[in-house]
Amino acid sequence: MNPLFFGPAETPLYGVHQPPEGKALDAGLVLCYPFGQEYMRAHRAYRQLALLLTKIGFHVLRFDYRGTGDSSGELDNVIADDWVADVGHAVQELRDVANIQRVGVVGLRLGALVAAEVCKARDDIDRLILWDPVLSGNHYDAELLAEIAAENLAAAGPHSGNGEDARGNLSYNGFVLSAAFRASMKKFDLLGAMPRAVPRVLLAVSHESDDFTQLRTAWSKLPGFRYLHAPAPHDWNFVDNFGGILLPQAVIRAIVSWVEATERP
Amino acid sequence: MKERALRIGRPTPLIGVVSEPETFDPARPAVIILNSGIMHHVGACRLSVKLAREVAAKGLLAARFDYSGIGDSEPRRGSDSFDEVSPRECGEVMDYLEKTRGCRRFILYGLCSGADASYNTALVDPRVIAIAQIDAYCYRTLRFYVEFYRPIVFRLDRWRSFLGRMLRKLFGQGPASDTQSRSQPEGEDYEIPTYTRIFPPREVVAKGLQKLVARGIFMYVNFTGGEPAYSYQDQYRASFPDVKFGKLLRVDYYPQTSHIITQPQCQAQIVQSIASWMAEVPTSGG
Repeated sequence: MNPLFFGPAETPLYGVHQPPEGKALDAGLVLCYPFGQEYMRAHRAYRQLALLLTKIGFHVLRFDYRGTGDSSGELDNVIADDWVADVGHAVQELRDVANIQRVGVVGLRLGALVAAEVCKARDDIDRLILWDPVLSGNHYDAELLAEIAAENLAAAGPHSGNGEDARGNLSYNGFVLSAAFRASMKKFDLLGAMPRAVPRVLLAVSHESDDFTQLRTAWSKLPGFRYLHAPAPHDWNFVDNFGGILLPQAVIRAIVSWVEATERP
Repeated sequence: MKERALRIGRPTPLIGVVSEPETFDPARPAVIILNSGIMHHVGACRLSVKLAREVAAKGLLAARFDYSGIGDSEPRRGSDSFDEVSPRECGEVMDYLEKTRGCRRFILYGLCSGADASYNTALVDPRVIAIAQIDAYCYRTLRFYVEFYRPIVFRLDRWRSFLGRMLRKLFGQGPASDTQSRSQPEGEDYEIPTYTRIFPPREVVAKGLQKLVARGIFMYVNFTGGEPAYSYQDQYRASFPDVKFGKLLRVDYYPQTSHIITQPQCQAQIVQSIASWMAEVPTSGG
């Protein structure tokens, strides 16, 4: 594992490049994290996914968007479009550091929404993998607000700090989405324009839902689209007191199997 | 402030990040930020990153890293327990900072199991001159129970709930549940820390603290409302009546916040408070 800082000098981004084990392909994948506690809980799963992808010859770069993890800045100075730009920097970094041409993107939850935006904006992405995607910025915002409303009904013990302030900043499980970030995120919608330039697209889900069915129906018009349901019950946003993390092996294995199968000549 | 990625040790390096102040003075102590459970070095709610940057802004060098097998550090061979491995690996980071930056004295910081690791490392490594902990080992006192039950005794809803439970028990009914509880999945999808947090007997910790006091180690111990065994500001000192902490110990209690400090205002307050304390630790120790 090679940790590194990359990207613009004024907003350096932290990432970990994992080179292939054994025979290397001319291909790589950038992993886009979800937000907040979901990011904390997904770190191990992403490390595992990266490891398995390197075993089938891929270069992998997982990285933190600006205002998150070890990357520079604070969330209150960032909007969702900045994250789209950050994925662009990560794609370029992986091309440069690994000396490869073909780069795909993988996104989990809000990261999937960001990854899809990247693919809509450019035509050089080799594959797109959406893992339990958030359907739109509006959906995500509504989901967090619903969680907070439910929590307020059952409030007990030390206060979580969850809620919306007068300026529209939303605090959820220790992370704050600024009003500006929320507004920019709401422009992102998987049911809007589709990323037509990406030759291979995977929708990998751990459970079935109306949202995923709707997305599957809409995106099945894309020529390289594939849907995979790998049951692995879990709740990304749950916060416990002892730092439990999620490792949905079934989904991870399903993604790696699809990547391997679609890479064969 | 500048940050650089770290790879420490071979063949399986420990991965981390160092935050370097604008003006670096190797004579001042460096800060090392430890993992909490199996959360990676960013820390609960990004607290470790915020603390490192605040510490660097105050002129101290700060390094955060992952123990082997956690976060970005790959597992190393061997079957030693976390209690054995953690002081050794933290020692490697101190060796590295000593060799590459000239740092010779260190302040350790940790939350929960990281707090335990900071204490255990301080016990065995003379380079540690101070520790800052959140939700450290603590023990109930008589007053703990008074403080814990006082708010409950005068609440009508608690009495109603208690009587309801008793009546249901009396008539052979199960517990009532009006909301579906959120729970974790079992099996391979959900991983909890392999480090099981067991508080050593109070006498053992008291003896250890006495050793730290004898060495003049500064201690800043913080407790949150998420620590079930803590209920009032002075409980820590009261738990160890025979340890003469004197001015070496400072304790702060944040009853309104959770164990992983999800409240943004509390995060800012705790980061500021710990970073300021660290910046004031005398270079020569106590």
